[in-house]
Amino acid sequence: MLFERTTKIESQETKLLVPVPAGVVGDAVDMELLNAFEELQADDETDLIVELIDLYLTDAPQRMLAIREAALANDWLLLKRAAHNLKGSSANLGIRQVAETCRKLEGTEYEHSTESLADLLRQMDDEFSRASEALLSERQRRLQ
Amino acid sequence: MRVIIAEDDAVSRKILETLLRKWGHEVTITEDGEAAWDALREPDAPSLAILDIMMPGIDGLELCRRLRQLPNPIPPYIILLTANHGVREVVKGIEAGANDYLSKPYDRDELRVRLQVGVRIVELQTSLAERVGQLEVALAQVKQLEGILPICSYCKKIRNDLDCWQHVETYVSAHSEAEFSHGICPACFETTVKPQLESLKISQASALEPVN
Repeated sequence: MLFERTTKIESQETKLLVPVPAGVVGDAVDMELLNAFEELQADDETDLIVELIDLYLTDAPQRMLAIREAALANDWLLLKRAAHNLKGSSANLGIRQVAETCRKLEGTEYEHSTESLADLLRQMDDEFSRASEALLSERQRRLQ
Repeated sequence: MRVIIAEDDAVSRKILETLLRKWGHEVTITEDGEAAWDALREPDAPSLAILDIMMPGIDGLELCRRLRQLPNPIPPYIILLTANHGVREVVKGIEAGANDYLSKPYDRDELRVRLQVGVRIVELQTSLAERVGQLEVALAQVKQLEGILPICSYCKKIRNDLDCWQHVETYVSAHSEAEFSHGICPACFETTVKPQLESLKISQASALEPVN
């Protein structure tokens, strides 16, 4: 079972490079929640939302890599910790689907349901790709 | 007020920092428990701490336990932040020494008012610590007067720490907040002052008698 999981996980390693079909990024990010950070914007500082997007897009792939490596090493504590962190930052910016998948990864649901760990990792990658597109689009809009 | 953040997630850290600055706090940022532990042991450490529970190295709970063991006259007010929910997590956090607890994602207004509670508690502790300091100084002076004082059996002067004999009022004035207002008690008036007045009257009367 473990070997099967590992094989599935390895097969997903290049998933992030797969282009996302147009039209599926719409619900990836709760833009209302993200744009609510405008009220914290200080006049004399750089665009806070752009800064938050940049931080997320730099940090999240590292967390996802840590999750994947922890899964390959069967290090559940490390996996849960990385998933916990990604869940927090995703929820903060309204990236709810990534946050929800991380919640499942942080828990033990994949150990008791038919939804395997590999399926959850694939889901995380897909949702992150959609969120990235939406975030980059928002970033570009703000910098124009 | 000065607030320290210990949060390993960059996005959460940035949001928290922005909120705190907007509310007028001075913010110290740390990315893990180890850095927060170092910063909170500095002599002029922040009085308010917002700690994420789950951090690499020293986690929020362990950091709370360590901070509560420090002999600090004004211990920091600690708010724990975590994505975990449930009573058990709250109990763990409070038992570890946290003053308050907020689950992520937190409501900004709730965080603001809970921080205000922290500010009030820290201000109260600071005020109490100052009062205790003043009382300790006063108590030290009172203790000097409570000890054994060498006093002359005849003139009632007191020997001070420099081996000099001082009048009682000089000594007491120097070792306490007491001040003296001089007067004459009825007994001394009868035994000392009255005879002196009588004697004065007699000498004045004799001076006025014509010389033969």
